[in-house]
Amino acid sequence: MNDLKHGFTAISARDTREARRDARLEIEEFNAEYCAVLDDGDLMDWPAFFTEDAFYTITSRENWDGNLPVGLVYCEGLGMIKDRALAIAKTSMFGPRYLRHYMTNTRVMGIEEDGTILAGNNYMLVEVRAELPEGRLHQAGRMIDKFRRQDDGRLLLSSRIAIYDTLLVPNALVLPV
Amino acid sequence: MSWHSSIPADEVHAKGSVGVEVDGLRLALFSLDGEIHATGNICTHAFAILTEGHVENGCIECPLHQGLFDIRTGRAVGPPVTRDIATYDTRIEDGVVWIDTQPRAAASAGAAKGAGGAVADFRRMVIVGAGQAGAETARAARTHGFAGKVILLGEEEHPPYERPPLSKDMLLGRTTLTSAHIFQPGEIEDLDIELRLGTRVHCIDREARHVVLTGGETVPYDMLVLATGAAPRRILLPGSDEVHLHYLREVADSQTLGEVLSRSRGVAVIGGGFIGLELASAARSLGIEATLIEVQDRLLKRLLPEEPGEFLAWVARQNDVALHIGEAVQSVSAGGVTMADGTRIAADCIIVGIGAVPSDQLANGAALETAPGGGIVVNSRNQTSDPAIYAVGDVAVVRNEISGQQRRVESWQNARLSADRVARAIAGQEPVEQELPWFWSDLFGGTLQIVGDPRPDARVVRRDGEAPAFFCLDEANRVTACIDFGDASLLRAARGLIASAHPVDPAKLADPSTDLSTLEDNEMKMLPIEKRYVWPASGLDRVPDWVYTSNEIHEREIEKIFHGRTWNYVGLAAEVPDAGDFVRSFVGPTPVVMVRDHDGEINVFENRCAHRAAEFCRELRGNAEEFVCPYHQWSYDLKGNLAGVPFRRGVDGKGGMGPDFRPENHGVKKLKVTERNGAVFATFAQNMDSFEDYLGEEMLKDFDTVFSGRKLRVLGHYRHTLMGNWKLYPENLKDPYHATLLHTFLVTFGLLVAGNKSAMIVDPKGRHSTMASAKSEGATVSAENKAEMRAYRDGMVLSDPRLMDFYPEFDSPWSVTMQVVWPGLIVQREMNTLGVRQIVPNGPNEFTMIWTMFGYEDDDEEMTRHRLRQGNLMGPAGFLGLEDNEAMKFVQDGMLNSTGGAHLVALDPKVPAGTSDTLISEAAIRAMYKHWRQEMGL
Repeated sequence: MNDLKHGFTAISARDTREARRDARLEIEEFNAEYCAVLDDGDLMDWPAFFTEDAFYTITSRENWDGNLPVGLVYCEGLGMIKDRALAIAKTSMFGPRYLRHYMTNTRVMGIEEDGTILAGNNYMLVEVRAELPEGRLHQAGRMIDKFRRQDDGRLLLSSRIAIYDTLLVPNALVLPV
Repeated sequence: MSWHSSIPADEVHAKGSVGVEVDGLRLALFSLDGEIHATGNICTHAFAILTEGHVENGCIECPLHQGLFDIRTGRAVGPPVTRDIATYDTRIEDGVVWIDTQPRAAASAGAAKGAGGAVADFRRMVIVGAGQAGAETARAARTHGFAGKVILLGEEEHPPYERPPLSKDMLLGRTTLTSAHIFQPGEIEDLDIELRLGTRVHCIDREARHVVLTGGETVPYDMLVLATGAAPRRILLPGSDEVHLHYLREVADSQTLGEVLSRSRGVAVIGGGFIGLELASAARSLGIEATLIEVQDRLLKRLLPEEPGEFLAWVARQNDVALHIGEAVQSVSAGGVTMADGTRIAADCIIVGIGAVPSDQLANGAALETAPGGGIVVNSRNQTSDPAIYAVGDVAVVRNEISGQQRRVESWQNARLSADRVARAIAGQEPVEQELPWFWSDLFGGTLQIVGDPRPDARVVRRDGEAPAFFCLDEANRVTACIDFGDASLLRAARGLIASAHPVDPAKLADPSTDLSTLEDNEMKMLPIEKRYVWPASGLDRVPDWVYTSNEIHEREIEKIFHGRTWNYVGLAAEVPDAGDFVRSFVGPTPVVMVRDHDGEINVFENRCAHRAAEFCRELRGNAEEFVCPYHQWSYDLKGNLAGVPFRRGVDGKGGMGPDFRPENHGVKKLKVTERNGAVFATFAQNMDSFEDYLGEEMLKDFDTVFSGRKLRVLGHYRHTLMGNWKLYPENLKDPYHATLLHTFLVTFGLLVAGNKSAMIVDPKGRHSTMASAKSEGATVSAENKAEMRAYRDGMVLSDPRLMDFYPEFDSPWSVTMQVVWPGLIVQREMNTLGVRQIVPNGPNEFTMIWTMFGYEDDDEEMTRHRLRQGNLMGPAGFLGLEDNEAMKFVQDGMLNSTGGAHLVALDPKVPAGTSDTLISEAAIRAMYKHWRQEMGL
């Protein structure tokens, strides 16, 4: 991995400063679309951001720092990601709310030989409910991502690990981050 | 007209409702009051088969959304249905129902009885026993709005009358039976009560819901009220078959006795209770010599404390009643009574008044619960062990649902109040707070009155006013009862003192110069907690909002529950494998540290510096050799002993602690710790029961299924807040009713359907519980169960069904157990995903939940992953877990901005509190509050 204090360290031949800059721009666009689907779109479209073998989890910093694998959400493979979308969209009961996802500080930390991009960002989730009109910070944390280039040129997530610093989940986390 | 034959009429009568297909139509046949009615069988609101629903009150209730149709008219009478169903003419030929499949013309407006299309009430209330309690039940039912049929069955030929005059004025011929009648002339007709006198009930058939009269006639009921009263206790003495012993119960007894008395010169009364005293008093007022015999060593020993009893004896003697107290009768004869010591008491009239035996034969015959000493056991609404049957008056034994104490009261007031309670219940009215017990007796020209509950062993303070009064006090000097001999102002003051339940100064109370009303004003500013937080009169089937929202109640819970006699989960031994490993945890809301010391022991102590109360351990978990408070560097060892106090001796001989300071007296507060197969519990209580006894055998079995001794491997934690009272969480796991209704996921994907094997098991004390179910193997949901579950959807499947896999690894009939270990632990075994949830209350309106998910050390990687995958069901983002959290928040939201309401937890009344064999039950919640109220003293 790179270390900002000591400059840039390539992890493969294709891992150049230019390639990382391009990748960052592409990932920022990707994440903007991703957030738009979660905030204002159809949850059933969310699985389309992932590869067939993708891994997706949301875990606390307490668990991450302690090497404990449990996740609030823990999906191995696209099937489980689709099932979560289906379960939440079609069967779950929860109070109405507005959720808004923010992803910033996008970093590209390396590009592997096969084009897999190792990236990360900081994220926030703001929740507004009728009884909480001023809104509150629901989660703040970071994400550790792997993006894989598809044959048609698109990037898809092959792994997204969301690590929240906000130790206590207020009541319930209904949508993914 | 188009007549078609269908099925035998007997089948319809036997089943009550049957669906048939005739002439291509799906029709419903109903048996109602011996007649057969035909309607369409498909609900006009949504597709549902009406005959799968419930028939009540002349209406069919749709199973899906509880829309109501009047069976006779087809009228849609209850939302959400708005369109009537078709009705059809029927006739019976050779025992077979024929139906005209041409529907009748639409029901005309007003066809249903009552104004505005209100549905007529077809329910029948049958009251057995036409004494005061029975008659008052009939009248009160009408007063409270019951519109069904009221049938009052009485054995005597007289219309209902009050009994008190029997031993008083009526006996003396000063009043007539008519003036004792309960109903005014014409009132029975006005109230539309069917009064059947001279009618004896032979038995009750609970299955068929009818009573059988001695002549064989059956009287069907929807609600049955037993007001069978009590019969005088008989005495067997040598000579009692040669002489007429008089007993007093019915008007005929009073009339006979009145005649005999008028001819008598001497009366002997056996029994020194109120009846005996009243009869002696009546005899004296006729100028007849009276002797009163009581075998106990004083009068009214079972009812009153000694001082008022002695005073009554004094009054009797003053009125020339010869008292034989503490003396037994040997025999009776025409000349009088012979005492055990040979003394002969001349009397030409012998009366026996030695108590009454409740007439509970009908109830016994119907296998209703009765008390060992006789009488029918009822709850606070006077409901018997069969929710359709009530008992009132002298025959009812009210069981306190918290203390379990049983109590039978024979009084005019109790007859009236119990009648009112039942009438309210039947009319659907909320119960009201009960009046203080009150009793009166006319004796020797004066009136004795008792308010409150005078226990024979109570301490008594006598106060002399216009007439003497005796105040009973409890251990805390609170007035519990008053026995008054004619000073109405003292009786009034006593009512206030009893209601306020505030301690009084006995000397002031006794002093006739103290104004009792000022006593109340000056000393009753602050009511005690149990007077300010009064449980609804209905009992355990209501839970008042203050249980969830009051800060004062919450503080009392910390004292009485979390710091009381409970074992509180603090962590897993696997979280602190090595010496110095610690976890920052909680007991209730109180911060504690769980740490392993160098002896390998796990210690739990308060996370609060003995110096300035700082919560000194700040890391969630870690490893330490000692704990040092950051504020003034006081340090504690791994056992919680104070190890170092900086500058304890001062500097340069100045300052520092005094010479009397002993560090060993200033450690942090240590809790008692116990461990069961890797789970660690702590308690503030001294001499606490063992954890095994605390859990009990049955609960321990479920606990040990998860904590079997297999080494645990911690997989991680969830922490979340929940904007609700902490008790809503254990309640949610004692509420099997919600599982298929809230958790659509369970039903959609077949994890739990109404046909699954399942159980809601409660420990004998009501505090711990296990909600259990067994995963069905490809079971199909019956149409009947499916219709009840709104949630069910066909055809939805999971892309990755591994989530639902269950690898049997436990010796248990259940695939899912959710165990509440009172007060703050939930042990989760949701198939293969295992965890504990620890409740940390933050005031009445919010709590934090700390989850620790785990597997076992010997799990292979695939098993660990399976547990992690299945973890998607639970936790604050779990398919089921998030719904529970949301629902509990909604409950608290509903209470926070409303005033003084109560929750309704009345499902499954057949099980008052405890383990039930149906999931459509709230008996486990009631059991929890039974225990809670005992612990809280509320």
